[in-house]
Amino acid sequence: MSGKAIVRVTHRFDASAERVYDAWLHPEKIRLWMKAALMEMGLSGELGRVEVEPRVGGRFFFSDMREAGEAKHWGTYLQLDRPHRISFTWIVDVSQEEDPSVVTITIKPDGKGCVATLVHEMPSQWASFAERVEGGWSRMLRGIHHVA
Amino acid sequence: MPSSRDGRLDRTLAALADPTRRQILRRLARGHARVTDLATPFPVSFNTVSKHIKVLERAALVTRRKEGREYFLTFRPEPLAEVERWIEKQRAFWGASLAAIDDVLRKEEGESGK
Repeated sequence: MSGKAIVRVTHRFDASAERVYDAWLHPEKIRLWMKAALMEMGLSGELGRVEVEPRVGGRFFFSDMREAGEAKHWGTYLQLDRPHRISFTWIVDVSQEEDPSVVTITIKPDGKGCVATLVHEMPSQWASFAERVEGGWSRMLRGIHHVA
Repeated sequence: MPSSRDGRLDRTLAALADPTRRQILRRLARGHARVTDLATPFPVSFNTVSKHIKVLERAALVTRRKEGREYFLTFRPEPLAEVERWIEKQRAFWGASLAAIDDVLRKEEGESGK
């Protein structure tokens, strides 16, 4: 409908919704999981600054060291509703400031644990790609690869 | 991650943002075509189509080849594949983040249980 490109991932936790929620906003915890996630991606996981201002309208900043230099990530918290929902803009380059990605994490209790769904909505410039990505461009690509 | 890679993604997305350009790409995905043939079905001037083709060429989605007096255009899928790889990378990063949070919280639980 919106035509926005989105990435959606879901994970079930044995931990409570509150603990999962808090892991997104405590700098020491962010350092622990982000290091592991970056290493999983084949990066050094060597973190630089990790700063969070956990209030709606507050900013966060993370950086990590890569071959090409310091990779910076920053944004603004749009929604903070403990333990149900966290939403923030996600920016990796100043050119994205005007039309940023938005990441929303929705946490639903599930037995003693919870299920977290993370949705990464791409900026509006991605809409025309998203329109076609379901079947369209992907099918074209597969067709071409097949020919090649 | 600001890099020439981001510049390329921006160029690809900007090239796809126009409906005429998307139509040109879809036509070329079916097989290469002459510039003149390509312009025929569009309700815009040859010059306008020509400008759209230049945008697609700058984004490396289309290449032009001269055969005799004619120019032939060919669709190049690599920039689209690059956008798809970038999306997959975002998905992998967020998936790894949620899995890493799970690990951190399990370890805490283990420690507090001792």
